Amino acid sequence: MIWLSDHVRNEWRLYLMLLPTIIWFIVFLYKPMYGLQIAFKDYSIFKGVAKSPWIGWEHFQSLFTNDQFLRAVSNTIKISALNLLFGFPAPIILALMFNEVLHAGYKRAAQTIVYLPHFISSVIIAGIVITAFSPSVGIVNTVLGWLGFDSVYFLTKPEWFRPIFVGTGIWQEAGFGSIVFLAAIAGVNPSLYESAVVDGASRWQMMWKITLPSILPTIIIMLIIRIGNIMEVSFELIILLYQPATYETADVVNTFVYRQGLQSGQYDFAAAAGLFNAVVAFVLVMVANTLSRRYSRTSLW
Amino acid sequence: MRKLLLTTAVTATIAGMVSTAPVLADGHLQIVEGDPLELTIQMNHRAYPVYEESWPVEQAAREMTNVHLKDATVGANMQTDSENTGKTEALNLMLASGNIPDIVGSSRIKDFVNQYGPEGAFLPLNELIDEHAPNLKKFFEEKPEIAAAISAADGNMYYIPYLPDGKYGRAYWIRTDWLNKLGLDMPETVEDYEKVLRAFKTQDPNGNGQADEIPYFARQWPEFIRLVTLWDGRSSGSDTYHDFMVEDGKIQHPYAGEGYREGIKNLARWYKDGLIDAEIFTRGSSARDFLLSENLGGSTHDWFASTSGYNKLSADIEGFEFKAMAPPASVSGKRVEEHRRIPIKPDGWAIGHTNEHPVETIKYFDFWFTEEGRRLANFGVEGMHYDMKDGKAIFKQEFLDAGPVNRSLYQVGSQLQGRGYFQDYGYEIQWSNEFALEGIALYDEGDYLIDQFLGVAFNADEQKVYDRYWGSIRDYMLERQQAWILGNGDVEAEWDDYTAQLEKQGLSKVLEVMNSAYKRQYGK
Repeated sequence: MIWLSDHVRNEWRLYLMLLPTIIWFIVFLYKPMYGLQIAFKDYSIFKGVAKSPWIGWEHFQSLFTNDQFLRAVSNTIKISALNLLFGFPAPIILALMFNEVLHAGYKRAAQTIVYLPHFISSVIIAGIVITAFSPSVGIVNTVLGWLGFDSVYFLTKPEWFRPIFVGTGIWQEAGFGSIVFLAAIAGVNPSLYESAVVDGASRWQMMWKITLPSILPTIIIMLIIRIGNIMEVSFELIILLYQPATYETADVVNTFVYRQGLQSGQYDFAAAAGLFNAVVAFVLVMVANTLSRRYSRTSLW
Repeated sequence: MRKLLLTTAVTATIAGMVSTAPVLADGHLQIVEGDPLELTIQMNHRAYPVYEESWPVEQAAREMTNVHLKDATVGANMQTDSENTGKTEALNLMLASGNIPDIVGSSRIKDFVNQYGPEGAFLPLNELIDEHAPNLKKFFEEKPEIAAAISAADGNMYYIPYLPDGKYGRAYWIRTDWLNKLGLDMPETVEDYEKVLRAFKTQDPNGNGQADEIPYFARQWPEFIRLVTLWDGRSSGSDTYHDFMVEDGKIQHPYAGEGYREGIKNLARWYKDGLIDAEIFTRGSSARDFLLSENLGGSTHDWFASTSGYNKLSADIEGFEFKAMAPPASVSGKRVEEHRRIPIKPDGWAIGHTNEHPVETIKYFDFWFTEEGRRLANFGVEGMHYDMKDGKAIFKQEFLDAGPVNRSLYQVGSQLQGRGYFQDYGYEIQWSNEFALEGIALYDEGDYLIDQFLGVAFNADEQKVYDRYWGSIRDYMLERQQAWILGNGDVEAEWDDYTAQLEKQGLSKVLEVMNSAYKRQYGK
């Protein structure tokens, strides 16, 4: 007891600094969890969470007999897999490339340019994409026209949706994502490079044998986080870019939840879909972490 | 933003005029004496997300009734898509927040109040109307079919609707000067219509040497789907897009019918051949403005009054003439105009359950059904926007000249569809130019209109079935529809799979509850 009060007296500044985060978690994560129960209720927005009657697993039953939901799950996984495949290596490659740039001024300018899209809101990004791919005035179709191709109404073609979406994501986030890897590269012990130079290693060899292995723990941590977020594609951008014609490849769990929940007012059904999503994400991150701890001795916890 | 600024400027100057105008009422419409009664309101109108206290019409109503409406918007949504889903979203947000204003007015409010009214979120209006609202009572006694159509499954009314007047809404429009230039006749059949559109595409009627003409365009893409009527299909049973329809005394959905299949097959062909605006699904509400003023658009399906106005607005294009044409005869020879003004809209206003002055509120609703109130709701403020001549409200010339009259009226707080009122067709006839009147005469002569489905009110069990299945079915229908048009699928090859999938997703269950509700409500 005495130990505790002494401890608090000595370390209160640290606890004070922790407080905003704890409040943030309570207000935005733990309090809303109370509302999750509507996934098992016949929820009426007027009656409220507490007074709506329980109905058990009914919403989950209708979810798993709903083809659109199953398709949304599969789309989510496909889009995330593409994101992982192309989007995850992009910032690493970018960081390695920046590391090799010797001219300081050029390096700084290039970094600023690739960071910039991260700070533009999704609405504007979507506007840029829609305009760029427009069949009549878009730059993409204009270029295709010069090359003698017919113009393509890209945003209504299901087969084009995923490439455009994943590409947009890489353009927007790869630069900003490279910061964490640049920081990891900066932390590599310089004496390793010095001895490599003495041994006559080329820059290419140094990158493969020193830089990459040294930042591998960072890469793995980022990968685990990424896998945990597999069910969370940036759906605001999807909502801005998709339409019925492209639902086939574009509709993900979160957009499905949005349409059913907010637009059709079926909050209970949508909550069930969201809960399912969260459970899958939780399992994925647990599995990724366990595998990583076992095989690479690097893990989040 | 520019529009908003303009509005504030206009309303500010006009608001100044109200206080100096002669006393508008002698007090016989006063609802409360002494201190004014303040009621809160959320109103989602098509053009405005909130209720403006500075609207001259609101100011005049204050003066006459001594009831002041205060904006208390909880959920607003500016999103205006072709189906007004943004409005439903705003209503849901309002209810979820737990703060229901005294008065709630919105587009698409009917299903909402008929679901949550019986749960207690909105007050039933029948008794209030009987006891305190002589004008409303008289109106509903004269039109019992309207009372039946807006009632919830428990038999109560929960909202006072916006009631459009007049019969005609949309019509086919075509550049008659282009027809003359190419030596073509007004199309009489669907085959003619296709030939004409094809000629617009290939024979350069705008004379700029490029094949940049867009033969058919629409501000709302479902107006393009409506062309399935040319192959005896249907696109909607009411003036709400994608709605159910009544056929042989039973409720059906148009997107499951054979005519629809044939229509979509042909429209996909038209789309592929460039007869339809390639960007029909994404161009949006500015399509008419842009394509007509750029001398690109050839034909559309749109409202009489506002579309006829482009003859004046595009007058700088030499010879520009945009006229209504009779609906082309379908493949079986039927001439049908699917759209008409529906006698009751699902729009209007309701009383929130926390309202402490229900009697005064229903009296206020009743005010808009008095002669003075109805004029205010239709024409704006007397002496400011219109004058009385021979017992009729006649718009001032400068008001008529200020641009599309319906838009000007929204800006002063008139013709708001989030308000329960009875429209007066006299308002529109005054700014319908000769082209519109000529078109209406043409449609009158041909008698092309068909009966409409006025909607049903579900009980709780039916509502559950409808909610559970309908959203996904509708999404699926629209998805396939666009895919077929855009060539991402083939309607002929996929039709059997399509109908099987509709069945699997529960279409027949939805139709079953629609029909049981329909029988209860209309006694058939």
